[in-house]
Amino acid sequence: MTMAPADVLVGIAAEEAEQVLALGSRIALSAGQVLFSLGDAAHSLYVVDRGRIALTLPMTVRDKEQDVLVEERSPGQSLGWSALVSPHRFTLKATAAVDTEVVALSRAALFDHFAAHPAVGYAVTRNLSAVVGHRLQIMQTMWLREVQRVVEISQG
Amino acid sequence: MEMFLMAAVMSLLAVAVSAVLFAAATHGERPEATSPVKRVALEPQRFFASAVDGAPAAGPGPEAEPVPVEALLLRIEQHIRLEQAAAESFLHTPSGQSLHSRTTSRLVN
Repeated sequence: MTMAPADVLVGIAAEEAEQVLALGSRIALSAGQVLFSLGDAAHSLYVVDRGRIALTLPMTVRDKEQDVLVEERSPGQSLGWSALVSPHRFTLKATAAVDTEVVALSRAALFDHFAAHPAVGYAVTRNLSAVVGHRLQIMQTMWLREVQRVVEISQG
Repeated sequence: MEMFLMAAVMSLLAVAVSAVLFAAATHGERPEATSPVKRVALEPQRFFASAVDGAPAAGPGPEAEPVPVEALLLRIEQHIRLEQAAAESFLHTPSGQSLHSRTTSRLVN
């Protein structure tokens, strides 16, 4: 299974990375097709192989709920790490921005594989921590910038 | 008696001259008398001029027209992208200045 280097598999030997990807199943999405919705039960971690996934959140614009783009995922990037973190519910909606193909790695298959290959499990967990931590830092910074604006507005 | 008639004739003559002068003066003012009509004719121009000047009070101008939802969503997305870029920049070189650096987002400018 040849695909762009996955961010969650960085630092893992190519053969071992192939074994992890072989656990998954490919899902082809046409542009506009929803991969998962906000609040859905999260059973799988996804790695984008081709195309682009838009991660959106609902926002009320002119009294109507609209999906607003929050992030995008390109080939090699992972999404859906809620599948590995309790309570296993997606906190964003994922939609194919263009014709896209992803590899879905189920939690059960991954955990079984990690139990049998702890070094791989450790490396994936470390990479996943980097992905989650980066998003946390980005969101924290964006939140603080918005708070600063609220303060400025409140002070006139 | 002659003196009285002379005075009477002179008075009538003076009244006649005054009447002629008054008539002439009144005739000279006629063009001005028509000027209100011209002003009325010019009123529309003044109206339009006033309408332009008073556009903000008279009603919403082009600037005040609501932005279409699609355009507003694009602005929101652009704002989020710019904010993410600013956040990435802050994480690369953390400082108070980079934390609150301004973007070109139309939502906040």
